[in-house]
Amino acid sequence: MTRNRHPKPEVEAALKHAEECGWRVEQGGAHAWGKMYCPYNDDSCRCGEYCITSIWSTPKNAGNHGKQLRRAVDNCSIRKKLMALRVSEADDE
Amino acid sequence: MNDYEFTLKFRLPESGKNPEEYIAALADAGCDDALVGVGRPGRIALDFTRTATSATDAIVSALKDVRKAIPKAELVEASPDFVGLTDVAEIAGCTRQNMRKLMTTHLASFPAPVHDGSSAVWHLATVLRWLHEKQQRSVDVTLLEVAKINMALNIAKERAAIPNADQKKFTDLLMLAAAT
Repeated sequence: MTRNRHPKPEVEAALKHAEECGWRVEQGGAHAWGKMYCPYNDDSCRCGEYCITSIWSTPKNAGNHGKQLRRAVDNCSIRKKLMALRVSEADDE
Repeated sequence: MNDYEFTLKFRLPESGKNPEEYIAALADAGCDDALVGVGRPGRIALDFTRTATSATDAIVSALKDVRKAIPKAELVEASPDFVGLTDVAEIAGCTRQNMRKLMTTHLASFPAPVHDGSSAVWHLATVLRWLHEKQQRSVDVTLLEVAKINMALNIAKERAAIPNADQKKFTDLLMLAAAT
């Protein structure tokens, strides 16, 4: 899927990180630059709200917005579970 | 000026409006320092990083901004406040087992939980204060400030939820519940 680069480098870097973790980044919307969608968005997910997260085009502070977006990706409970699983599998080997 | 990090979760008015329709209003109201989560119908979560002179200023101004954008939004929870043992361990930088041991060996002074049982819940501010005062651990002052305001805010919200008929009994109950 093609999208434009986000004008703020800190935000663009966070979006790349999200995409590497399987999130879908979509451009569009009135005030916001776009949205990102969690790949595991389902009823069992406890982060709920952040499964769809809005991306500002001109956030008050681009560095902070980048950090917030990363946190949404890294805090996803299903991602955490999968990572823990991978670690324990590696331990078993 | 400091950066204060906190999350406010709201229930949206039952207008059938999509949470996304509020994004523009939130930006206009000055909430563009928050990450807006719209993944659950009827709910909206705002993960703020707000620059302010105090935690109170940060949280109060954020609440006002959200009210401006969505007047009928109903606060569900301000966090960080309610925490389990795992959360506390993560914040204190130790394992859950260590935290559990610390609690059970100091059961007399350890803060009383909001809810006890298989998954006990505490107010973060009470635990941070305990760690600082009784265990001489260094705690994040900014986090403690935020946790204190969030605790007051969440309790105020619950206080307001008491049905009118029972409001009168509240003062009596307060005296009975608090230690003298």
